[in-house]
Amino acid sequence: MNTLKTILSGLCLLCSLLLSAQEKNTQAELPYSNKIEVSDRALESLFLAPENISVELAPGFRINGKIENKSDHGNSVISILIKLNNTEGSMLSISRYKDPQGIIYYTGHLLKLHEPDGMMLVEKDKRYYFIETQQRFLVTE
Amino acid sequence: MKKYFIHIIVCLLLCLHVNVFAQSPLLNSYSGAAATVYLDFDGAEVNGTIWNEQGLIHAAPSGLSAASITWIHKLISDHFKLFNLNITTDPAVYERAPIRQRTRIIITPDGSWYGQVPGVSAIGSFIWGDDTPAWVFMNALGNNPFFIAASATHQIGHTLGLQHQSLYDGYGVMITELSGGENNILSNEAPLMGIPFYKQAEWKDGHPSTGVQNIQSDTAMIAGAPNYIGYRKTGEETASSENAVKIEKQEPGSLELNSSGNYSYRLFDISGRLLTQGNLKTGYNEIRTNPISTGVIVLQWSGESISGAQKIIN
Repeated sequence: MNTLKTILSGLCLLCSLLLSAQEKNTQAELPYSNKIEVSDRALESLFLAPENISVELAPGFRINGKIENKSDHGNSVISILIKLNNTEGSMLSISRYKDPQGIIYYTGHLLKLHEPDGMMLVEKDKRYYFIETQQRFLVTE
Repeated sequence: MKKYFIHIIVCLLLCLHVNVFAQSPLLNSYSGAAATVYLDFDGAEVNGTIWNEQGLIHAAPSGLSAASITWIHKLISDHFKLFNLNITTDPAVYERAPIRQRTRIIITPDGSWYGQVPGVSAIGSFIWGDDTPAWVFMNALGNNPFFIAASATHQIGHTLGLQHQSLYDGYGVMITELSGGENNILSNEAPLMGIPFYKQAEWKDGHPSTGVQNIQSDTAMIAGAPNYIGYRKTGEETASSENAVKIEKQEPGSLELNSSGNYSYRLFDISGRLLTQGNLKTGYNEIRTNPISTGVIVLQWSGESISGAQKIIN
């Protein structure tokens, strides 16, 4: 009986290891050097802001800039592109989309071409983070 | 009389203009699919994207012949025939595709606004929903159609979320970010997401540039979340492949072929000059060509749901 339990436990462990290995096969598993949590409300405020924008996404993480482009695809996807003043030439591209169940998601990137690092907005367990990572994982040749 | 003469001149000028700025042939690899990759050979003005740090980008038309475009489209489509994904050269098809399941690859001569590279893209932009394009820069590829197709396939892979396939040593230290298939010198295969130019390039399962601890299955990532493209249904692949039109006999001045459906066809020489065009019916067909049309010719065919092309050595 104990042997059976040991085998079953081993199998469970093996399955969980396999599953965790599969989970690594996603884009969200990027190595990162820093991460900043941002709230849904802060992200939503970007979409409500005027052309000249100044929004604090998190303590010490403020977006100052100008909306360069806004596209609206039937309200299911709204995308904005903000040229930042406080990090010269950087662009924040952020999209808000609503799935058929009405749940809202956000994707986004903060980049300056040819810089070594960039930021990507990721969602984990219904919380959003800007992770700082090597830009070659975000824009590449 | 003078009035008619002016009308004729205007018409001729218009025709000339249309010919010079003619759009690419409208090709679709798998029209039934909603998810779409648009190969844009016609030039573009791009603004309002992450590429526009320095303002508007004027991308010149590729200047490629219809035959070369058809051939490049076929090479790229072949790499995606496993997937429920349409590779198109038709801008209207792109416009109709779901906003979070589409991407545009701009194939243009000059990339000096970015740098001397064969192409560039934003990883995962297929689902961004803001029409961020990816780029292939022909001058950096020697304007070679094979290299252009390989680079475009590589950039499409990036837009679908794929990182580079890399090579690591036994201790997990990266030897090279872009694998060229060096780990097996006896093999003629290389990863499409490595250096896809000098060996038979394919999608691979391997260790991506994000670390040796990660496994990237190219095909699983393309088909799965967050792209949700999926695979073609079994049996559809053969119907949409080059088998749809099969050349049975080839002689100077004549091509005999079997067609699986009713298609329109066009035959070009390698410089893009139209040799002949017409319709194929299901079953046996014969195409008469000029007997002096020797060398490489390209047969392009298209139907309601599928299209394709074949290179023929005459």
